[in-house]
Amino acid sequence: MRTHYYIIAAALAALVFTSCEKVSPIGVLVSGTAVEDRVKMSHLYYQEYKSELEVAFADDEYSFIVGGDSHVTTDPGRMDEMLAIGLENDDLFYAHLGDIADTKAEYYIVLDSLLKEAKKRFVNKNYVVDKDDPDRYHPKDNPQSWSLYSDIVFPFFPVVGNHDLTHNGWALWSNIFHSSFYEFPVLVYNSENGDIEADRFIFLDTASGTLGKKQIDLIEEGSLDGSDKYRYRHTFVFSHTNIFRPSSMQFASTFPREETFFLLDQFAEWNTSMVFCGHVHAWDECEFEGVTYLTLDSMSERNSPEPGDYLVRVHVKKDGSLSWEKVHMNYTAKKK
Amino acid sequence: MKKLLLSLLMATACVVIANAQAYCGDHAFDGTHRNEVHGYVMAGTNVVTDGFGGIAAGYRRHLTKRWDVGGDFQLQFGKQLYSFDVMAGYRLPLKYGSIFFDGFFHYNRYNRWGFNETIVNLSAIWESPYVDIRLGESYIHYQRSGHERGSNGYSEPLTLTFGVGVNIRHRNNPWNIGLFFRNYDEFYYENWNINWGVRFYAPLPRRMKLFGEFNVRPAGSISQLASKYEGSVKLGVKYNW
Repeated sequence: MRTHYYIIAAALAALVFTSCEKVSPIGVLVSGTAVEDRVKMSHLYYQEYKSELEVAFADDEYSFIVGGDSHVTTDPGRMDEMLAIGLENDDLFYAHLGDIADTKAEYYIVLDSLLKEAKKRFVNKNYVVDKDDPDRYHPKDNPQSWSLYSDIVFPFFPVVGNHDLTHNGWALWSNIFHSSFYEFPVLVYNSENGDIEADRFIFLDTASGTLGKKQIDLIEEGSLDGSDKYRYRHTFVFSHTNIFRPSSMQFASTFPREETFFLLDQFAEWNTSMVFCGHVHAWDECEFEGVTYLTLDSMSERNSPEPGDYLVRVHVKKDGSLSWEKVHMNYTAKKK
Repeated sequence: MKKLLLSLLMATACVVIANAQAYCGDHAFDGTHRNEVHGYVMAGTNVVTDGFGGIAAGYRRHLTKRWDVGGDFQLQFGKQLYSFDVMAGYRLPLKYGSIFFDGFFHYNRYNRWGFNETIVNLSAIWESPYVDIRLGESYIHYQRSGHERGSNGYSEPLTLTFGVGVNIRHRNNPWNIGLFFRNYDEFYYENWNINWGVRFYAPLPRRMKLFGEFNVRPAGSISQLASKYEGSVKLGVKYNW
């Protein structure tokens, strides 16, 4: 009988713990920064530096490239290849769907070095150094303006994934990318009629399998609705956790029922054109209420060692129409 | 083909399944009654909808000692979730416990977002004096009628149903407390989002029984650092005659 009482006491203690705002059922065993705190931090950063994100400007048409679940470790070949592919094709920006690196400090050092090197290549390709002042960089397509190297934004925009959070990974992730909850517009100059068109890019923090209360409140308050100055042609949403499952045999968690319906409703509200997801390490393509949902396979060396079509490139054309294609990656993982 | 075969095997193995009612002892059939009715109240908090409360009730008719049919409904205020189901089940007595094969048809109206969800669930429950295990599959379809973009809705790939419950006392005792671990609740079935909590029952006069559970519903699986999503309490009475 005494054993029974111990079992009851343990169960009740566990339930009391889970009632605490800061402790999740699994968080009792594995600590991490909860979604509420991540979103609060991200939103503060986003509000402070929002203007820095409003730099994407395209003439007539543009493309962007999406990859996910790179799980960078000591062999960063795929991430390096993604960065090279985007630069070579003049994609306007990169979007990453989370689980960017496995959470060890040394892997983030590798990732940080890759991104810094990619920024150098990006600046060399798109900017010229001022002849008189080597600290000034002039965009090749707008030589009248200039920026300091540190102020040039390397256009790499990630969402945070669940594997980015283990072992207190948020500290490593946020040190590089700062915010997991943000949006920015791409302004498109139409050379025929002189109009400025706008498309909207929204990045959600879904690493914990839920948006959390704060993020839902911010979304409902319109924090990601963008500016009243623009009438958006297209909205693109990026989420780590997938909305739809590729098959019956995919047991990665998806959103709970209410949150699934909340998101589907919100995507309709935003007049969303495409939603990109990762997490499940399997390709899936479907359409629901006119929105295209693409779930990308993992591009990581460990999960997908052989070359394959792990990236997606989206073309936004001059007439406003969209098309997308899979992009092949050639890198073969090093054998250990 | 391998995945198809596995899905078929799983579906075949489960044939018809389990009662969504997961209260411990719920499947116990003493052979002396033909009718059961139960009702409960619920309250909780949810990340999306904040606080919610609701009522639910159900009826079972034991046609024979092996076959039973029934139906349930729930009204969840706050969530604006309205549901009903009908079910049929077969009990296979074993030397040690019983296996229940149940089939359910559920309808859920998530009125807040205008979604209609229909679910067919087939499950098998092995119920022993101290442990019950449920395994099954669900076909889930949802859509929004009349949405301006138009849609035929979405059918999820078959969703595995599984659950484990343990009691601290023999199931036939007048009161009991147990723990459960499952990826479903009365009216929904999810993929890899695991509910867990405490359940109990206690005797009341006149063939009635008090039952209840405290349910923690995290979002995300263990590998996803599950986060707090919903906590709820249910408290109800069951009467049979």
